[in-house]
Amino acid sequence: MVTNVLLTGVGGQGIITAGSVLSQACRLAGWRVKKSEVHGMSQRGGSVNSYVRFTPDGDVASPLIPEGAAHIMLAFEPLEGLRQIRETAPDATVLVEERRIVPVTVSLGGVGYPDDVLERLQDSGRAVTVVPATATALELGEARAANTVLLGGLSTLLELPWPAWERALRGTLKPRAVEVNLRAFEAGRELMGAG
Amino acid sequence: MADTARDLSRTLLLSGNEAIARGAWEAGVRFGSGYPGTPSSEILPALKELGDAYVEWSVNEKVALEAAVGASIAGARALVTMKHVGLNVAADPLFTLSYTGVEGGLVIITADDPSMHSSQNEQDNRSYARAAKVPMLEPSDSQEARDMTVRAFELSERFDVPVLVRPVTRICHSDGLVEVGERREAELRGQLEPNVRKYVMIPAYARQRRVAMAERTREVLAFAEETDLNREEMGHRSLGAITSGAAYQYAREAFPNASFLKLGMVWPLPPERIRRFAEHVDRLHVVEELDPYLTEQILAMGVEVEPIDEGFRIGELTPARVRQMITGESPPETASDDDLPPRPPTLCAGCPHRGVFTVLRKLKAYVTGDIGCYTLGTLPPLQALHTCLCMGAGVSEAHGIQKIRGHEASVVAVIGDSTFVHSGIAGLVNIAYNAGVSTVVILDNRTTAMTGGQVHPGVGETLSGMPGRALDFEALTRAIGVEDVRTVDPYDMAATEQALREAMASPEPSVVIARRECVLMVREHAPAPELDEETCTRCGRCIRIGCPALSALDDGGERPVPCIDPALCTGCTMCVQVCPVDALKIPGADEGGGDA
Repeated sequence: MVTNVLLTGVGGQGIITAGSVLSQACRLAGWRVKKSEVHGMSQRGGSVNSYVRFTPDGDVASPLIPEGAAHIMLAFEPLEGLRQIRETAPDATVLVEERRIVPVTVSLGGVGYPDDVLERLQDSGRAVTVVPATATALELGEARAANTVLLGGLSTLLELPWPAWERALRGTLKPRAVEVNLRAFEAGRELMGAG
Repeated sequence: MADTARDLSRTLLLSGNEAIARGAWEAGVRFGSGYPGTPSSEILPALKELGDAYVEWSVNEKVALEAAVGASIAGARALVTMKHVGLNVAADPLFTLSYTGVEGGLVIITADDPSMHSSQNEQDNRSYARAAKVPMLEPSDSQEARDMTVRAFELSERFDVPVLVRPVTRICHSDGLVEVGERREAELRGQLEPNVRKYVMIPAYARQRRVAMAERTREVLAFAEETDLNREEMGHRSLGAITSGAAYQYAREAFPNASFLKLGMVWPLPPERIRRFAEHVDRLHVVEELDPYLTEQILAMGVEVEPIDEGFRIGELTPARVRQMITGESPPETASDDDLPPRPPTLCAGCPHRGVFTVLRKLKAYVTGDIGCYTLGTLPPLQALHTCLCMGAGVSEAHGIQKIRGHEASVVAVIGDSTFVHSGIAGLVNIAYNAGVSTVVILDNRTTAMTGGQVHPGVGETLSGMPGRALDFEALTRAIGVEDVRTVDPYDMAATEQALREAMASPEPSVVIARRECVLMVREHAPAPELDEETCTRCGRCIRIGCPALSALDDGGERPVPCIDPALCTGCTMCVQVCPVDALKIPGADEGGGDA
């Protein structure tokens, strides 16, 4: 069976890097995997999605997750998580970063940032866990490792062996960022109650 | 069970773009050229990383293709990369190149962008293959991107023809597993002996080549009937689909048990195989993205296909859209049922373009724009860009407007540095030559920013790493005959305003070069300004420069208060400069500092 993971957030949050780590870990575990995203305009502070689909056996056809079929969503920003909720299955698991990033459109006096984003996520029926990813990463001294905190949380939901994750992190990240990200990964696991 | 036997060192996770570079490298390519354009931009840098081949960012796609033609005439295998609209620029050499053919294999990548994720249109470049009579391959994943690039070089040499490979965004920017091979050096072909009947397309020789082309097309057609690039995958006969590229993957996802005629070669099409496949299925659909390119040719073969709602011809397909298409539903309206604030892309915090656009908005100029990050200046709050057509168009449009509406119209063209070199220079020559008086602003951020920061002639560095000669914009402008040239730092908004006012008032053609390195290239940033809430009148001027580091915080007051995110702020001071009451202070600066 193919597992579909949707990573969503704001351009610049390290979503594409996180998608790369996940898909490399799948490859290193010997699984079949496809990942898709859009570069270019959307990286200028706009909404960004990365789709990762994998299976220990069989084949992955579409690089896009079929509509409403994401089993797991990693939301790097609450509003972006809510925007993509219809892309997830009704019984999906959602890990959502608590920190908001206010869109420029809100500052310019258009639609306000809804107060009830997390409630609406929770009311969606999905299994939602709020993860203080940026706060945790800041405690480790590197705000930019927030994406790896979320990946650590994700790792508690998947059967991917640790050596595959470790090799993927070491192979994908800049060498000087590896150690803090390994700690961020572990912190993400602890936030999910796994050590 | 995991396939533990798979050799991980030979099974790489590659994007479609990396896989194309890998295929070209394995095929012994010696020359790679192109111009950056999403979604094609990562191919040449990946080829450079693999080594062995000479690579360059050319000045534009036409130059890139012509340089590759030279490499091919010299006997080398050559790769050219561009986005779909880039092939419009390179179309002139392409159509006659189909007459001359090649020496070393020549493969042209045209990366199409259905849904216009980062493009000004979603033209379907399959029609170029048919119009130029050039074979086209269409990969459906990274493995095929590698394999088909290798095959394209073989076909090019076998049939003496350039070969087009058309990935789309979902192939270029999707990663998949690729079984890779080793590089096989390709010997240089021929001795560079003149062969004027093949390479000089005067009418007498071109007429002969036209006949040779028709013969070649018959041979390629016979190949298309045989090749495993096209394949039949027979499932249930109740539903059959003729499909190709990314659309094939969506169709397979939506209808795993259907029968497929999967076309790897989309020009020329194999009529016999298509008819045979049609006979073996009860209901025949054509699943293709964008134009009815396959559909019309298949209908012309006398094969009946199921009609679809024309709405499916706009935008990229998805598994759900393919399902709706085949079950005869109409495409659903775009979902707009939520009250969520949109998050469009914006100019980055500290983007130097913001200074120029803030001034142009103040001067109420009619701004003819161009292709690049600065197109983001169109949306609120800046709203300082009023046209965007194609690379180079802004310069020429300003000239046309000025000829009709006169000097009073306050028309200003803005164009990025890389775009200016790509196709803005000719427009500026046209202004000077035809006694125009337009003002052209070169937004010189020292890189090709939108596509990821590639070098270009104005910078002087090259993709290959060899030092290049830097193009001097000021000297070039004067050599063109535009004497009124000013260079400003767009972070200095007062100086930028003065330069623009003078240039726009000038009775001659003028150029303003707004030069400041792209903020994404800068590692060290100045500290964020601090807000003196006592002084701030909450007038909102700082908010209206549209900086993502500045948000309006509703603190219960009559109007929201500006709030600076120090993690995003780069210390450019533009908000400080627009504040009328000096409520924003640069840390460590003297009283009133930052007021340029």
